[in-house]
Amino acid sequence: MEITVNDRIYEVDSEPDRPLLWVLRDELGLTGTKFGCGIGICGSCEVHLDGAATRSCITMLSSVEGKAIRTLEGLSSEGNLHPVQQAFLDEQVHQCGWCMSGQMMRAVALLEENPAPTDQEIETAMSANLCRCGAYGRIKRAVARAAEIQAPAGGDS
Amino acid sequence: MSEQATEQLDPIPEQPQDGWYISRRGFLIGVAATGAALALGIPLGLPALRRTAAGLTEGDAGGFASGTLDPFIWFKIYPDERVRIYLPKAEMGQGIHTALAQIAVEELEVSWDQLEILHASTSQADGNFRGTSGSMSVTTLYDPLRQAAATLREILRAEAVRVLDQPAGNLVAHDGAFQQADDPGNRITYGALVAGATQWQIPEGEIPLKSPSEYKVIGQPVPRVDLPAKVTGQAIFGYDARVEGMLYGAAVHPPAIEAKMRSARPGQAAGMPGVVQVVIEDDFAGVVARSRPQAFAARSALEVEWDEGHPWQQAELEELVSVGGRGGVSIQREGNALSILKEDSTVVAEYRSGMAAHATMEPQAALADIGSGGGRVWTSTQFEMNERRDIAAALDLEPEQIEVIPTYLGGGFGRKIPLSSVPSAGIEAARLSRAVGAPVHVGWDRFEEMRNGFVRPLTHHRLAARLDDQGQIEAMHHEQASGDALFGGFPQAVAGIVGFDFGSTRGAQIPYALPHREVTAWRRPMPIPTGSWRGLGLMANIFAIESFLDELAAEAGMDPLQFRLAHLPEDALGQRMRAALEAAASRAGWGGALPEGRAQGLACGLDGGTVVAEVAEISLDTDAGRIRVHRVVAAVDPGRTINPDGARAQIEGSIVMGTSAALLEEITVKDGRIEAGNFDRYPLLRMSEAPDVETILLEAPDGKPRGLGEPPIGPIAPAIANAFFALTAVRLRHLPMTSDRVQEALGA
Repeated sequence: MEITVNDRIYEVDSEPDRPLLWVLRDELGLTGTKFGCGIGICGSCEVHLDGAATRSCITMLSSVEGKAIRTLEGLSSEGNLHPVQQAFLDEQVHQCGWCMSGQMMRAVALLEENPAPTDQEIETAMSANLCRCGAYGRIKRAVARAAEIQAPAGGDS
Repeated sequence: MSEQATEQLDPIPEQPQDGWYISRRGFLIGVAATGAALALGIPLGLPALRRTAAGLTEGDAGGFASGTLDPFIWFKIYPDERVRIYLPKAEMGQGIHTALAQIAVEELEVSWDQLEILHASTSQADGNFRGTSGSMSVTTLYDPLRQAAATLREILRAEAVRVLDQPAGNLVAHDGAFQQADDPGNRITYGALVAGATQWQIPEGEIPLKSPSEYKVIGQPVPRVDLPAKVTGQAIFGYDARVEGMLYGAAVHPPAIEAKMRSARPGQAAGMPGVVQVVIEDDFAGVVARSRPQAFAARSALEVEWDEGHPWQQAELEELVSVGGRGGVSIQREGNALSILKEDSTVVAEYRSGMAAHATMEPQAALADIGSGGGRVWTSTQFEMNERRDIAAALDLEPEQIEVIPTYLGGGFGRKIPLSSVPSAGIEAARLSRAVGAPVHVGWDRFEEMRNGFVRPLTHHRLAARLDDQGQIEAMHHEQASGDALFGGFPQAVAGIVGFDFGSTRGAQIPYALPHREVTAWRRPMPIPTGSWRGLGLMANIFAIESFLDELAAEAGMDPLQFRLAHLPEDALGQRMRAALEAAASRAGWGGALPEGRAQGLACGLDGGTVVAEVAEISLDTDAGRIRVHRVVAAVDPGRTINPDGARAQIEGSIVMGTSAALLEEITVKDGRIEAGNFDRYPLLRMSEAPDVETILLEAPDGKPRGLGEPPIGPIAPAIANAFFALTAVRLRHLPMTSDRVQEALGA
């Protein structure tokens, strides 16, 4: 079957019930998406399916045909970091960095749906993802900062 | 730089193409083919060991090193101006590559964008003393790194003196070049010096190091060197390692803590989709497949029989780890606390702490490519030399036949230290790779990570004290029992001689100045594999001591802050503790008005010379028994801070991880098995439950840098428990302070 990842079409012949996570990492070599728990609790494996944050460890390959898949590798374009990546860098959020692919993908999905979230909305959305290094304070600041970077100049947000 | 130093320059008699020359001051100088690169390294780092290894003493002449003496850390300067620093330290999120680069750059005088920081493989740099643990990297490398960098700079200066025809004292090192002090246009870069030099001269005199007031890089919040690759997903962790043609492996793991394999048969596994080979050797059984899910599925189909051993229950383990009886070792004794307290103790209390998992977000992982003569292993490890030793032993090879290439670690916290009592992803990948004749990647799933590693041991504490008429502590005794924190990885002969596990007793000593104080430790090995967990005994011991201090303050009718201040030693350490306590209390508004339903608690801790004071502000959902930590103010004095932003990140992380461990995390055993298998049964703190952390960084007058990764995890649990007492007048004496335990304590 064909799947579309970061605007590129890939032909894959894995069994239909294989989790998307392992297809991305092991077959397409997109190791930016991480394995954490395998049961959809921790969020390390988060990618976008048609723009929605989705846990790739519990998403079967058969369910993604015809959908636009986006991974961390697809966030930056022509060497320019996505505002969320830039904000995470500016706030020096990452410690070990393992969960951060999922954190950033979740933040991007949040801001695409809600470009000017309140602190409470950031906390609600981002509480779905675990960070063992305990960088939650910086994640919260970085998501708010990314919203500011993205806000249109002269806008009221 | 004085003229005198130039006179002391000692030419290298010959310049080897590949090898190290030992300078008289114990550095290794490496000169590749003329014009290629200049390198300078530090052998081993510990002076005594370094001399033994080199067969030299300080007075001996230098000479060429044998093939086995490789540097511990080294710099390499290339003609194209790149400067590489090879480090023996694992980057697991603590920012160590950045901090060490800052220390080196301060004396080397190169610009930040010339740098490349690498974690050396076991073949690039030898030395069995490598390893990343104990918050000791900066402490141990601060002086050697600056000395090595300054020496390299002076080697370059001697050549610049020749090329620019200026006296050494008239040349200023700046941004990777020497320039004439009174004519900055007359300059030459380090790269150009390396490209043009035919003969290097090594300064043998004492090279003065900068005074801290001259620091330009040390003490600055320099951005982390590893983050650009981490925000784009390009950073390679052990789980991410890939080579052409690699396959995926999975090994069978014991289902119970004492289980031993009785027999293994391939069953249906060999015929399953994608399976390349079933490997059964001795007590090892695993599969190799074309994909990871296929390997996991085939592993489940192997037919394995186990002797499960004793069906241990949680209560049995707790009874095992108890103070009292034979085997107690006194680790602190002043005055005669025991006889005073035998007569009469004013306050006695017992504390316990549970087992905990490391729960690194990246599970154990390794890629191995092994042929008959050895091979390479890429893995996330804190101790690459031990990894190499263990893999070689498992394959019946010499250590030198294996090259371990360390990757970034997706969390460490002590779990990525190899321990022979638990399975190793590196050994599993190596065995499977050798059997199948192809590179094999083994990445554990979360269930293996929860159930087949080692855990933080149980602890038990009994504290007793007597107060005098003025409410001052006259005598105090801390009795402490713990499963092994360090000795799990030690030869039993060594463990037997020392008698107590100095890892499990971290933080167990009483830091307050009391006329009579005593600490007794019992080593209680457990049937479940136990080992190092961030801070080792620190969290449990400081929980016990600082909770007890609070109990004594209440008994004396004194404010917990004033009570602590009244018991500080009258020395430099006491001054630092006072400064930290007062700074944290002041910022937190200690003693001031709080929102309805909130209370504050205070705790203090020492670890490796780092002083920490924390104030936690909590509220309680009484019906659910859930403690919510809203705010933590931490005042931390690590002596000297290399990177204040990195330091704050470590403190914030320690406190959030410590809050998670204090409130939620517990590994329990039932019928010989670990009950939790994933984050559903082993919850970690989420953002909505995490405190806001405010950090105050203090510096000691002596200016010596000390550890930061672990010390702040000590006081958080007692600060929370003491706040709970302030709120409810009820003591929580058992970690973690789960909602069940809270409700039980409240008599709900």
